[in-house]
Amino acid sequence: MAPGQKLYPRSTVKKIVKAHSGCNVSKNVDVMIFLDYVLFMQTLMKEATIEAKQGGERGVTARSVRRATGDTLAKFKG
Amino acid sequence: MARESRPPGTFRPGLGAGTTSTTPIRRASSADPTPSSAHSRHSLVIRTPGSQNRGLSASGRKATAPGPSATPHARAAFRTIDSRRAAISTPHGARRQSLREVRDTPRNLLLPLARMLARGTQVIASSSSPPAGEGSTVMEGVEEKEEEEEEEDLPKRPRLSLPIDVEEDDSDLYPHRSAGLEDENFTMQSIEMPRRAISEQLPGQGGSRFSMGSVRMSDYFAAGGTELRSEDAGIDSGFFPPGMALDGDTGVDEDFPSYERAESDVGRRETLARVSDFGIEVPLDMNESTVVIAPQVQDSPMRQLNEYYDEPALDPRSDDDDRLEEAAAQEANETVLGVEETEMDEATAKISAKRATKKRNVKISRHGIEYPSLPPAVVKRLAQTFAKTSGAKGKINPDTLKAIMQASDWFFEQVGEDLEAYAKHAHRKTIDESDMLTLMKRQRQTSPHMTPFALAQRHLPRELLQELRMTPPVPVKKRRKAGGEAEEEDGD
Repeated sequence: MAPGQKLYPRSTVKKIVKAHSGCNVSKNVDVMIFLDYVLFMQTLMKEATIEAKQGGERGVTARSVRRATGDTLAKFKG
Repeated sequence: MARESRPPGTFRPGLGAGTTSTTPIRRASSADPTPSSAHSRHSLVIRTPGSQNRGLSASGRKATAPGPSATPHARAAFRTIDSRRAAISTPHGARRQSLREVRDTPRNLLLPLARMLARGTQVIASSSSPPAGEGSTVMEGVEEKEEEEEEEDLPKRPRLSLPIDVEEDDSDLYPHRSAGLEDENFTMQSIEMPRRAISEQLPGQGGSRFSMGSVRMSDYFAAGGTELRSEDAGIDSGFFPPGMALDGDTGVDEDFPSYERAESDVGRRETLARVSDFGIEVPLDMNESTVVIAPQVQDSPMRQLNEYYDEPALDPRSDDDDRLEEAAAQEANETVLGVEETEMDEATAKISAKRATKKRNVKISRHGIEYPSLPPAVVKRLAQTFAKTSGAKGKINPDTLKAIMQASDWFFEQVGEDLEAYAKHAHRKTIDESDMLTLMKRQRQTSPHMTPFALAQRHLPRELLQELRMTPPVPVKKRRKAGGEAEEEDGD
């Protein structure tokens, strides 16, 4: 990661969660949410890579990502 | 018997009145009904020399009685004749005989009649009959004639019966095969009944398979070969060797079931495979022809016909057509309606287009709140790093990025709804860190072995971790987890 570059827009994450939940988001929850998102992305990319390898594709493609999306979302269903 | 016991010398003087009285009595006891002594004398003259007797029998001249001089054929014939005579003389026996062998009855009637008539009639010398100059008496000639008749009759009997049998055999030979196949077809149909049901479940191919398939063909077979359709006839010619399919209806006797069954196991499977091939190939052609041609010609009415095809490729076409039609109808309505409405529509369209161009990322949640999605750069960076760690290349296509963005949007939506549920369950209006902790616990991201802070330390960059540490709730969270403070102190 380039130094000085913002990792993620905290306000954006806060807005997104606020819009979806309809609740206020306390101060530092967005960091935790982003952590969860990072974990989700890790799992998603891992699954997508596995899917791509199984499908004989080169690298990660949109198709493999779409295939992996459902399972990963189900895994992250609270 | 009695004659031979007496020497000839003693018998000849016995021709007087005294001896004649004795002989008839003894002869009455014997079965031969020789009426007069002249016959006996004549026969005696002939019979006393055995050499003459043999010579006569060898020449084919028959004796008066069916004695040992006759050929075995003639002997057998006389035996049968005698037995039939006896049967005829006794009424019950005649009935039984007639019941037993129906074809012999006319001959049985004719033979005694011929005998009765032969005494009064004279021999008519024909070209075919042997010359009568061999010293044969009238009775011998008559008997020869009878024997000729019998000889003619003997071959005739089998002829009378044979042609019928031959015809039956000829008719049997072909039909037995085909009839056996028919039986196999019947069993096959009984076996294939469930298969038909399965094909019925698939409405698209079911109908086509029906027409081509086993059932109707077989039914037509059973009804008679003439009622076959043209298609079915073609299939049949393809199916069976031509000799078998020729004869449709012959009730198969159970003479050959062993033979047929021995073949049947092979034949059934062959026929089955062929049936399936036909079921697959021909109807597909039929379907293709109908499917390809029909929608091009007609659009809307074919939908009803295509309902049973269930082909997914056709439905979007029809839908597109419908949409096109709807669009055309809307355009027509708009043109029909006033200019103001079109202006209004244009205005709204422009406004919506402006909005779309302005905030493409803006979406509306189910609570009616617009929300942006994460900036693609962040998502792409994350995806690249995790793709590299997971072993793939770091490059991510725009399509892939779009898919990942979609997935992340869904993820945030799901997380937001879950957090909302937790907060509302706690009667709060604010999403707290405890909600997030429960969520991560339920996601099985955190466990007694994996604390949230450890996760954060592993995945979040140092800056963000520092920001997280600077925030007050973090120590609270770490106090809950054992050993959190020590880590924090180490981090500090």
